[in-house]
Amino acid sequence: MSASKTGVSAATRSFTAGRAFVSKNTNLVTFIILAIVLSLLTHGKALAWDSVQNLLIAESVRAFAALGVGLIIITWGIDLSIGSVVCLVASVSASFAQNPDYAAALYAGKDFPLWLPIVAGILTGAFFGLFNGVLVAYGKLPAFIATLGTMSIAKGAQLIYTRASVVGSLKNTYKDFAQGSVGPIPHLAIFVAIAALIVWIVLRHTRLGTSFYAIGGNKVAARVSGINVEKNLVIVYLFAGALYGIAGTLLSSRLGLANALTANGMELDAIAAVTVGGVSQTGGIGTMSGMIIGVLTLGIINYGMTYLGVDSYYQLLIKGFIIIIAVFFDMKKYARRA
Amino acid sequence: MDTQNEFVLQMKNISKSFPGVRALDDVTLNVRPGSVHALMGENGAGKSTLMKCLFGIYHAESGEIFFKGKPVKFHSTKIALEAGVSMIQQELSNVPARSISENIWLGREPTVGFGPFRFLNHRKMREDTRALMTGLDMDINPDEQVGNLSISRQQACEIAKAVSYDASVVVMDEPTSSITETETEHLFKIIRDLRSKGVAIIYISHKMSEIFKIADEVSVMRDGRMVGSYAAADLTEDKLISLMVGREGTNRFPPVESTIGEVKLKVSGLTSANPRSFKDVSFELRRGEILGIGGLVGAQRTELVEALFGLRETVRGEVFIDGKKVKIRSSKDAIRHGMGFITEDRRGSGIFPLLSVSVNTAIPSLEHFQNKLRLLAHRRILAETTKYNEALRTKTPSMATLIQNLSGGNQQKVLVSRWLMTQPDIIIMDEPTRGIDVGAKYEIYMIMADLAKQGKSIIMVSSEMHELIGMSHRIMVLCEGRHTGTLDKSEATQESIMRLAAQFI
Repeated sequence: MSASKTGVSAATRSFTAGRAFVSKNTNLVTFIILAIVLSLLTHGKALAWDSVQNLLIAESVRAFAALGVGLIIITWGIDLSIGSVVCLVASVSASFAQNPDYAAALYAGKDFPLWLPIVAGILTGAFFGLFNGVLVAYGKLPAFIATLGTMSIAKGAQLIYTRASVVGSLKNTYKDFAQGSVGPIPHLAIFVAIAALIVWIVLRHTRLGTSFYAIGGNKVAARVSGINVEKNLVIVYLFAGALYGIAGTLLSSRLGLANALTANGMELDAIAAVTVGGVSQTGGIGTMSGMIIGVLTLGIINYGMTYLGVDSYYQLLIKGFIIIIAVFFDMKKYARRA
Repeated sequence: MDTQNEFVLQMKNISKSFPGVRALDDVTLNVRPGSVHALMGENGAGKSTLMKCLFGIYHAESGEIFFKGKPVKFHSTKIALEAGVSMIQQELSNVPARSISENIWLGREPTVGFGPFRFLNHRKMREDTRALMTGLDMDINPDEQVGNLSISRQQACEIAKAVSYDASVVVMDEPTSSITETETEHLFKIIRDLRSKGVAIIYISHKMSEIFKIADEVSVMRDGRMVGSYAAADLTEDKLISLMVGREGTNRFPPVESTIGEVKLKVSGLTSANPRSFKDVSFELRRGEILGIGGLVGAQRTELVEALFGLRETVRGEVFIDGKKVKIRSSKDAIRHGMGFITEDRRGSGIFPLLSVSVNTAIPSLEHFQNKLRLLAHRRILAETTKYNEALRTKTPSMATLIQNLSGGNQQKVLVSRWLMTQPDIIIMDEPTRGIDVGAKYEIYMIMADLAKQGKSIIMVSSEMHELIGMSHRIMVLCEGRHTGTLDKSEATQESIMRLAAQFI
């Protein structure tokens, strides 16, 4: 009698603990369930190592964008310019990495050192981030509008710079940069891991990160507490811009070319990913691990649907619903704040 | 006489409580048609709460409301307006980018057309507006955008709107708080006009001179109770003040036993960049001293302390700390010069609801808690924030608990801990006990007394007379942004403060 009682209470206890874990790590649990479902549906084939490798490669560029916009959303901002900026960065970096003997190259006959496309790419991204940051912080423009303008500017710049043509025939040494791997681990996954680690350190272990949360949570209180709100906003957009710079550079290296459609719609994917990963649109909430899990969750949904042969048109439709549902629950969860 | 004819509006035995406060206690108000009925009382006496009960913004727990002899229960300002009870609010609620006539007929626009196809009848709206304005002797173009009008003109439009609803009762909450003297004269003319048409006006104001100029009857509230209703002709200014502040002494404050030291902060001629805000304010604050700042709503007390803390711009004036001239352009400068600021709006400008108690405490001090790599020293932060919060006896499940889950009083203690951790010499507290219960209030007072004893200097802005008199060594009084006088503890009474607070009004 008493034994069964303790048995029940132990079960209840572990159930309660389990429920607490689930509610605290909803994103992770969702991701794991999706992975298991996909494995079962494909008899384990979908999650064999080379498939996982593909998934990592496909999602890594998006991960950079997600980390950047994730930080911005934590400060209660938004960035719609990601796709265009990454596209421009990819084109700029590609233009410095074309084979010198390629007749249609933007700088035909010139052989640039390998570091140039990388530096130029990151600087281009950082420049647009800085531009957004100054508009939002000092120009007091709503982030939505400021970055909407930047989106168009970057797209225009890309078309002008490339004369609306494909920047192709990239050097193999440059392509190895993103396409190579160390043993079984793709380069790209390593780069993402480094970026994620840096974001984690910033958010968890620096004053800067604490300021981001503070600004997103209560801008007025942040100002009273001696935080330079404007400076911190510029930093967050600049930092995000640098991450887009890396994303664009790696993208051109991975694809071996860049054109006007490169990274098309990436802002949506990135914003959706971090939202699914628990970065709240109400500001002040979000973690690095959430952002990465969000990217992987959307990735596995994309990948799973492709693997199961879902028509790509339907994929788009389903993705839209997933984003709406994620934000719906996010808003419900934090509705009390309003 | 039959009460049905005598009073147009009766609020009988209204009671309303909020957690920890009895906001209204058996309040009765009778308003005659064709009269101006002033409703007076200190900040927090319950005037606004009473009006909110009338308009259904709050629901009274007991009591009845009769309008034209019939019991009524308004569920919103709109329903009240349609019945003929209108409110001109302190903050005007119009649509600035639309025309005057569109604003007046908002939500009940005349239309033309047939069946479901209805279109706005702009011509009729314009003509009706013009007729309305002529009736009120107002010279206003109905097509003017409301946003382009001066505040007093906007008010006049609100009044016109009330008249257009055939209002028999119009409530005006501090209508002259943001208009000039000539504009006030014009407003009074409109009020007298309405009165002669049989409209009853409930006039809420702090301004003595206005009351005696315009009111027929005066009802005085204090601490949520109705003190009484009097014919304005039977009152004097002194009598009214003593009715408003009452006489009872209280023992709700700990003794402040500190030694007053040398001058810590000296402010001279400080003038706000905003011409409507404070002007030419000078004062001194000594070590171990609690300086109270009193005044009515609109006295610019918060603006003054925000400017001291670098949150608002000033155009003139100097600030000295320890005899040295300092420039404080941001809160960061203020913190560096040893100042701390507990703001009046705890939710709006104090707490970070989604961050932990520990981070909320540490935020302005974080630069002192970094290791050589500029990473945060989490363990040291936790130890230090725990120390400060334990010293103030903040009740929290853990230091990792989100601050939004704490009670108001405990949130306030976290904020006090926050600013003590920056080790300030000057602590500004704006309404330090607003919205917290009586027990927690006493604890905050104890903390203040203790800080003064340690030689810290405190500036306390407060709207509560008892608190000002009970806690301050000296009380500086502002009226409409000007420094009207400073009272020593020995000479501070509610009457003397009120007189200074209403000096220019």
